Amino acid sequence: MTHKTQREAYPYFVMAVLLFGLQLVFGFLTIAKYIWPDPLIGILPFNTTRAIHMNLLVFWLLFGFMGGTYYMIPEESGAELYSPLLARIQFWLLAGGGVAAIVGYVLGYSWGMPFLEQPTPIKVLIVVAALIFLYNAFMTVMKTKRWTAIQGVLIGGMVFLAVMFLFGIVFMRNLATQYYLWWWVIHLWVEGAWELITGAIMAFILLKLTGVDRALVEKWLYVEIALVLFTGIIGTGHHYYWIGTPSYWLWWGGIFSALEPLPILFMVIDTMRNVRERKVEIKNRMALRWTVGCAWFHFVGAGVWGFAHTLPQINQWTHGTQITASHGHMAFFGAYAMVNLTMIYFAVPKLKGFADYDQRRGERAFWMMVSGMFMMGLSLSVAGIVQTYLNRVLGMDFLLTQDYMRLWFMVTMASAGLFAYGALTFIYDFFFMKPVEA
Amino acid sequence: MTQTAARNMFVVGTIIFGLIFLYMTYDSLRQMPKRTHEEALTDEVVEGKALWQKHNCNDCHTILGIGGYYAPDITKVSTYRNDDWLKRFLKDPQGTWPAKRVMPNLHLSDRDVSALVAFMKWVSNIDTNGWPPKPMNAAAATTPGEGPADKAAEGRALVGRLGCQGCHKINGAGGDAGPDLTHVGSRLPDIAWHISHLKDPGKLRPGSAMPPFSNLPESELDEVAEYLVTLK
Repeated sequence: MTHKTQREAYPYFVMAVLLFGLQLVFGFLTIAKYIWPDPLIGILPFNTTRAIHMNLLVFWLLFGFMGGTYYMIPEESGAELYSPLLARIQFWLLAGGGVAAIVGYVLGYSWGMPFLEQPTPIKVLIVVAALIFLYNAFMTVMKTKRWTAIQGVLIGGMVFLAVMFLFGIVFMRNLATQYYLWWWVIHLWVEGAWELITGAIMAFILLKLTGVDRALVEKWLYVEIALVLFTGIIGTGHHYYWIGTPSYWLWWGGIFSALEPLPILFMVIDTMRNVRERKVEIKNRMALRWTVGCAWFHFVGAGVWGFAHTLPQINQWTHGTQITASHGHMAFFGAYAMVNLTMIYFAVPKLKGFADYDQRRGERAFWMMVSGMFMMGLSLSVAGIVQTYLNRVLGMDFLLTQDYMRLWFMVTMASAGLFAYGALTFIYDFFFMKPVEA
Repeated sequence: MTQTAARNMFVVGTIIFGLIFLYMTYDSLRQMPKRTHEEALTDEVVEGKALWQKHNCNDCHTILGIGGYYAPDITKVSTYRNDDWLKRFLKDPQGTWPAKRVMPNLHLSDRDVSALVAFMKWVSNIDTNGWPPKPMNAAAATTPGEGPADKAAEGRALVGRLGCQGCHKINGAGGDAGPDLTHVGSRLPDIAWHISHLKDPGKLRPGSAMPPFSNLPESELDEVAEYLVTLK
């Protein structure tokens, strides 16, 4: 930590961690409905718990990204944050919007497109908060005009994120067109904007942690995000196979999205090389653990599991089954939850003023979360394979198929138990980590 | 490669791929009105779409394969459920299909129900490049013969599509609301009886809760009956 105003990041991390905990509660409510009859159907039916589960995910990741940005920008620019007050106002606007959205879902207000269920006034509030955030970050950089590649990519990714959100606000008469633009938000977030943000955060942390040459880190950052966007932009086409779009997307989407794992593999290689060639001793082992873990799980969850069902010949059978849910869980966790956890373990000891801290509890949390999530991914995959075979290949009725998947939903829930135990250990560690005297 | 070269590659490449993507978007949006039959996109269909969103249907059901994975995909529902069934179901989901996994009753007005059915009908005509593909056993039986075994095979597929096992068990799989059909062919071996029972269950079994399937074509009723009598 080099600047006082980096502290503005802390409330963002606190909120991220709390929402993450709440997300797990709604995850359990949601999986339980797959296994047992639903006693809560009158109060919290499946669509409500799912909407809340996914909205909490998006909100906590955004809080994490914004906290990470407020932590990084002063250090990269060599200047205090432009306005700590704006950072606080923006925090409460976003938190207020999130709470209003979730209470609204329970009361039955929804805009009705997955992930983007927020009613329009709340979406406007989110846009206002995002504009304040971008203004604050931009003005900080403009104090010294030190546009490093890392903060250029970071702010570029944030602007990209905000602009894409606008395509998820308008109601279209035609469902196919609505979904065409919906994917501009969802796909171009996770396989575009968020990848830029992740690349920048990872580059920043690797730079600080390993002491390798900045020019080298920034060069590979450009190469990685170039490959991400070259494959990812037209890779949006893997969502345009079956929604009323022209058939040439089967070719374009198939070929470009099949190449999407390449930049992620690149990140793994780059990360491992930087760690191997480190110039300083890495004291914060948890930050390193999450960095390396994130690179690998990002590759497995987003890269391998995404590739497994991205070709149209396979996707025609698996589209809309639990295979997608499996990929979604592992990709969001491996890429975006883990990059935030990396940032948190990197920044929070410094924000608390600890030169070194007791890392044993964090270590346990890491392994429980990573193995719990991997088991969830595997069991949802098996459920998805059963579903694909019985429902799609043999033509068995949808609900009948669900009976045969029940066992695997139970395994998912048990794995989620392990994950949640790890997550609670992490949350406890976040609030109560102890310094170690050097 | 220098850092500047890497940056230039990133900037120029992103612009090129972005422009290609924008051109493809322009072309797609030009073709989609025809592929989705926008000429049939009436105000009632749009009202149905708004209701679909208002009730957050998409976080349980999938449509065009996107959504909640918890409840059936409704993209092509109008091709295997007629309006009458859909309307009865939307008015009273649990009474119409007493499955273990339940859809809440949304207490929809008649106007809402009609709008939702109009929306589903419009969606089912979207050209989805052949998705979802025909199940392999159904695809193998595209040229059915006329023998009882061929008819029974078709009937078996129909029983799967119509969701009979929402209420009835067959070989251990299915619901408990209606009688177990695993050995129905031993108890009731008469094809004609099954056809007239399917058309109007209450006439042969007074007080029966089973809905009539009188709007299925005779050939399909025959196929279902042929299948039922093979269950011995």
